[in-house]
Amino acid sequence: MVKTVKALGIRAPNAGILAANVLRSLEDPKEEVRFIVNPGAETGMDAVARRYGYSMEVSRLEKDLEIRMVPSGKTMEEIDVTGETCPGPVLIVGERLSALAVGERLKVKSASADTLADITAAITASGSRILGEGTEGDRHVITVEKDEKKEMPQGNLSVANRDRVLIVQSNGTGNAERAYATFIFSKVAVSMGKKVTIFLLMDGVSIARKGSAAGVKHPAFPPLDQLMDEMVKAGVTMYACENSAAFRGISEKDLAFGVKLAGAATYIQLLSDPTYAVVNF
Amino acid sequence: MTYETIGKEFIELLGLKGSPVAVKLVRTPADVPAGYEKMVKKERHCQFVQDARLKGVTGYATRAEHLCKGGAAVMGIEPSPDLVADGTTYQKLGNFKTIEGAVETVHAIPKLDETYYASVYAPLDKAEFEPDVVVFVVTPRQALRLSQAYLHTSGGRISSDYSGIQSLCADAVVAVKQRGVPNMTLGCNGSRKYSGIAEDEVILGFPPKELGAMVEALKAFKQKWG
Repeated sequence: MVKTVKALGIRAPNAGILAANVLRSLEDPKEEVRFIVNPGAETGMDAVARRYGYSMEVSRLEKDLEIRMVPSGKTMEEIDVTGETCPGPVLIVGERLSALAVGERLKVKSASADTLADITAAITASGSRILGEGTEGDRHVITVEKDEKKEMPQGNLSVANRDRVLIVQSNGTGNAERAYATFIFSKVAVSMGKKVTIFLLMDGVSIARKGSAAGVKHPAFPPLDQLMDEMVKAGVTMYACENSAAFRGISEKDLAFGVKLAGAATYIQLLSDPTYAVVNF
Repeated sequence: MTYETIGKEFIELLGLKGSPVAVKLVRTPADVPAGYEKMVKKERHCQFVQDARLKGVTGYATRAEHLCKGGAAVMGIEPSPDLVADGTTYQKLGNFKTIEGAVETVHAIPKLDETYYASVYAPLDKAEFEPDVVVFVVTPRQALRLSQAYLHTSGGRISSDYSGIQSLCADAVVAVKQRGVPNMTLGCNGSRKYSGIAEDEVILGFPPKELGAMVEALKAFKQKWG
């Protein structure tokens, strides 16, 4: 469990006196405490933490500081989702997170960076925070802190800047016109200053297979692989659905330059983001 | 020790005017303690506390019964009015020279993120529920004894914080409920004006779990100091 104590407006040393009383009055000695304080109030709180057998971490929030006091010797829960396929990792981590209290942390490991990217999309969409990412041996690692989703004020929905474009391609190389349209529309959007993401799913992932776009040609246009390469170099993000790729025997090593595998959570998160205009081909 | 005994002991040992007041916030109508009726009069939270303290009134107040919207808002009973949340109200009332000062203070006021259906009140000796907080309206001398009683077992110091606004609600109830430690506050213009907090009275909120040991401490003080 994690207890959150907002102590804004209280300066040092009073914030430390308050912290000492909070730590002394905890019913569960294993409980962590997050103090939300103004910058400067943390002075002396490290001594309070030591005195009562806690370690202290300080992290900056938007305007305030979070002082986290963790009972010495308490370790963070860990989970390794290596080997699980989409949507397994997202569901496993989501289930584990749902059992945590707000403020509790979980370390998630995977051999696949793409899997962690998908988990990251799901976690941030649910309101929790990614505190850090890195590697441990052959595992990619993220540290997650459970939080609740904050409702966006109603007014903000209507004023969200739709300055990004999501192009969903589900027909693949079998429909040359739609395949061309995917990258021509991307080119136009990029020229308009939009940030573009292409999500290839179902038959659309055929475009992601290394070399396959080179076979799509039309006399009025450059070869599709050239357009695709141009868009990658222009900063367009290109995802191939992990499950659709697996259905068609496409693995990470078969992917064309610039294409990354992504899971269902990434797709749902993109569709849910009001700053994206969505185009289907 | 029951709350009935604890409440009576506090009154006797400190010579309190009125009772300590048990306050509880409930999330749903089903959580209202059995037998508790909705308050008849629409009033402010600080008035409900004073009515329980001085007149023995018990009952609960939903959003509809709370006249002070700022007080109800920090207790999670209704959304904060825009002009209160953005500091405008307090700057217009003259509390702050600048809107920045008002915003800084409003940002720091203890407030509950969760939503509650109602606040429930009873004199402590008549409380038939487990309170979140027990509020004392006392003289400075009685506040001294309460502070000493709190520190009697484990020692230490007390830190109290307040801003002169939203006193009996944010400082005496919300801060204590959230932190699990006592807080002292001096009232606000509203509570001084409407609820009859006297010139020589201050307000303290305590977590209920501390009260038994505090009564024992007061008895020890009485033996030692008379």
